[in-house]
Amino acid sequence: VTTTFATAATVDEALAALAAGARPVAGGTDLVVGARQGKAPLPESIVAIHRIDALRPIEEHRGGIRLRALVTHAEIVASTAVRERFTALADASAIVGSHATRAQGTIGGNLMNASPAMETGGPLICFDASVTLQSVSGSRTVAVAELFRGPGATVAGADELLVAVELPEPSPDSGSAYVRLEYRRQMEIAVVGATAVVVLDGDAIADARVAITALAPTIRRVPRAEGALVGTSGDATAVAAAAAAAAGGSAPISDVRASERYRAAMAEVISRRAIEVALERARGRAVPIPASGSRP
Amino acid sequence: VTAVEEPTATFVRPDGREKVTGVGRYTADLTLTGQLHAAFRYADHPHARITRIDTTKARALPGVIAVVTHQDVPDVLYGGMVKDRRLFARDTVRFEGDVVAAVAALTSELAREAAALVEVELEPLPVLTDFESGLADDAPRVHPDWESYEGDEALGRHDNVLGFSTIVKGDVDAALETADVVVRGRFVTDPVQGVPIEPRAIVAQWQGERVTIWSSTQVPYVARAGVAHTLGIPESSVRVIVPLLGGGFGAKCDFHFEAHVAALARAAGRPVKLVFSRQEEFVAVGHRREGMVIELETGARTDGTLVARRARLVLDAGAYCGEGGFFAQMAAMHAHGPYELENVDIESSLVYSNNQPSSSIRAPTAPQVCWALEQHMDELAEALGLDPVELRRRTLIEEGSVTATGQVLEHIAMKETLERAVATIGPADDLPADEAIGVACGWWPSFPARAGAYVKLNDDGTGTIVTGAQENGTGAVMALPRYVADELGMRPDDFSLLYQDTDAAPWDNGSCGSQTTFNSARAVLAAAVEVRDQLLDAAAETLEAARDDLELVAGSVRVKGSPEKSVTIAELAAQATFHGKGAGEVPESPPAPGEGCVGRLGLESFHAPQLIAHAAHVKVDRETGVVRVLRVVAAHDCGRILNRVGADGQVFGGVVMGIGQALSEGTQLDELGRQRNPHLLDYKLVTAADAPRIDVDWIETDTPNAGPKGSKGVGEPPCVPTAGAIANAIATVLGARVRQLPMTPERVWDARQ
Repeated sequence: VTTTFATAATVDEALAALAAGARPVAGGTDLVVGARQGKAPLPESIVAIHRIDALRPIEEHRGGIRLRALVTHAEIVASTAVRERFTALADASAIVGSHATRAQGTIGGNLMNASPAMETGGPLICFDASVTLQSVSGSRTVAVAELFRGPGATVAGADELLVAVELPEPSPDSGSAYVRLEYRRQMEIAVVGATAVVVLDGDAIADARVAITALAPTIRRVPRAEGALVGTSGDATAVAAAAAAAAGGSAPISDVRASERYRAAMAEVISRRAIEVALERARGRAVPIPASGSRP
Repeated sequence: VTAVEEPTATFVRPDGREKVTGVGRYTADLTLTGQLHAAFRYADHPHARITRIDTTKARALPGVIAVVTHQDVPDVLYGGMVKDRRLFARDTVRFEGDVVAAVAALTSELAREAAALVEVELEPLPVLTDFESGLADDAPRVHPDWESYEGDEALGRHDNVLGFSTIVKGDVDAALETADVVVRGRFVTDPVQGVPIEPRAIVAQWQGERVTIWSSTQVPYVARAGVAHTLGIPESSVRVIVPLLGGGFGAKCDFHFEAHVAALARAAGRPVKLVFSRQEEFVAVGHRREGMVIELETGARTDGTLVARRARLVLDAGAYCGEGGFFAQMAAMHAHGPYELENVDIESSLVYSNNQPSSSIRAPTAPQVCWALEQHMDELAEALGLDPVELRRRTLIEEGSVTATGQVLEHIAMKETLERAVATIGPADDLPADEAIGVACGWWPSFPARAGAYVKLNDDGTGTIVTGAQENGTGAVMALPRYVADELGMRPDDFSLLYQDTDAAPWDNGSCGSQTTFNSARAVLAAAVEVRDQLLDAAAETLEAARDDLELVAGSVRVKGSPEKSVTIAELAAQATFHGKGAGEVPESPPAPGEGCVGRLGLESFHAPQLIAHAAHVKVDRETGVVRVLRVVAAHDCGRILNRVGADGQVFGGVVMGIGQALSEGTQLDELGRQRNPHLLDYKLVTAADAPRIDVDWIETDTPNAGPKGSKGVGEPPCVPTAGAIANAIATVLGARVRQLPMTPERVWDARQ
């Protein structure tokens, strides 16, 4: 049962509260739902950070962009910089939960909740994004790829607050996509998701990133799938090989949402679709955001 | 004071503004002085003997005011057609949501904490969760004492069988021998929940020997009877009031938890409020759509004539009867379906299990059986080399058809609904390979029942309608002022409504069985006719005119052809008492003399049947099995439509609910019968974004034995053939059938393999 609820006006106030044992809340979309379902009781002490204006902007940063912790999914989807240069992230934020979730839920909360089914993790990993974790004793930078330890667990200390996410400058001639298997059109959670980023050099794929979502204890890149693309023209054979490799990198489970068998098969289908859309975008053809809605 | 406006296509609900703006008050919004909060202690095990219940620790928790178990209430069994349940489990728990104890405390957090402190020692018994195996001789018995229960003799109960029903006509075996084509199929459905968006809430307050209960129920009079029966007090000591109701879909039919809360409030000596969590709304409510096993065999001649149908249905009753005792016969009637059949042998069993109890959810038993039967009909068409629409054209019931139960059908537009649905959705010839159109037909009875109402006029010429009808969100009660206004030459806005209060109006069935307009509007109209007569008498005297020369128009009574000779209703109302009461005559059901019917509960005759054809245009992603419904055309014969806006709304909602049942909604159980997805994250309702274009066609008929103004019901039929139409479209795309409901992406993907 929560006995203390404080609202921080500044980052320093928030960090002091964390140092004293409070847990942060921003949009509350995971915290409250989790408590209601009995997954995790509400913390005894909560510090609300949603009024800290310094954590709100999306900024140009060293050729890339920096998202402060309170940037919402709706703001990510509306950002021209994200849509044009980090399209997979826009694909992901556009399909998080419902309209209400996207208006309320933040990128910082989404990352620190560390669900293996979260949407933005795959794109951020593939874009080589890093996060700034800050505490009363200083700050450090951690690659998103290194952030997750397991379902619901990150490398952050209890006193550290995620204050920003930085995405470095993307390569020119690149394209990206995040695709999720969707049983329904809204309020969905990933059963299978895949991210692809491809960089073209002329007609050939010079570099590729492929990550799979909800298919292992943490979101992970699959180097073999990436290797199957690099050096090819992105033809159907290469894409199929990469998709098969991506599925091979999964460790699917059977649960109430799907069987292991179905998840494994969908890992291949959805990875292939993500790679196909990323290639189309790299080649300059417009595929609507979110990519998941561009197919049946 | 009033001037009647031209009738328009709009329907402004009297309760609309308060609901939309948030000023409306639902049960959970109520707070009474001194109010305590309730929490239940559940069995958490689906089948076990109770060896000890110890409430000492719960009572010792500071802030706990009362703890109630079976020892604190009369030892009384209750239930619909079979009395097989106690308020609080005494010796045995039979499903995970059985209530063992209830706590009242100062806060809901304390109440939940105390409920967890109630010590319940259980000795596990064999669990029967695979309900089909409950028919076996050596199956565990859910109710070993079933013979001692009070129950309806016609149910044919034995062992785990709560209800048994047959429809038999002719010689099926011999007819199958002569058939040119025989098709067989087995279909299985998962249980489905009603999922009202308002989780149920109850507040109870005693004043002396009388208790007032505010409850989010669809059936306040049934709830009152349940409280009176289980607590051993007269119905006159129980008043049930329903504040605004946030949906029900059947799940809030029946008496559920009103007596538990009343017992707590009495023990505590203070008002007590219970508000369910979403998880409790899934797990604790003994009221969900039943799982079913459906085996069908049909023989036909090459011209399509259906020479024989054999069906074997097994329905999951769950742990208790609830109000679902009639399911075996209802399911049997849907296995018959709206078809002409020469020989019939249908056997339907409703079987106890240790699963959540099954009761009426919008058109109980029909969507599942129709989904199976309509797929079966498409398979038969394929085997015959006939177009599925053509096979139905040749075999659907029509004017003068006789059902296998012996009912003669008159003034029905079954075939017209098919033609209209097919014509409106258009040809499938040019669709892409991953799209198809499926068609399904179904039927659903009207439910005549008694009802009563009062209409009274106020001194300023406005009026009040007092009705026992319950508004569950459909708008059926909200439309009552229109009918009264039409009868009296007044405006709908002139009337206030006093409704869903058991102390106000005579007994009413509540909002169940698509019957609010059919029965409650009949009663209200009868009351309005009495007021009309009183007004005409009074005006005849005032105007010194012959009564037969008078008409009620625009808030006045006037002489036909001489509008200057008139008196306003307000003038009359200020000087005399105008009040009418009405019940109307309950229409008789047509006879069904067929001899082969066992388990006759009255459903062997489908009273003023609602006839339905749906055509669904779907798109199937073959690689993933994800199905999107692009368009549904719904053509219905529901008699005369009294409120087009409201009726259309019922079809829109029913079709979307049907899509959920078709594609995504299903309760999953673990090996012990516990729900695995009792929350809205993994029990997947259809969202607004998934809703397709829906076209509604009404084919209006002059139905015998109809409700007021020639009406039948409209609320449940849209759920009936939606899943079947979608299934047939999926099968056309896949070239394979999905034989499990819901047809989830994984099941569609599996079928394609």
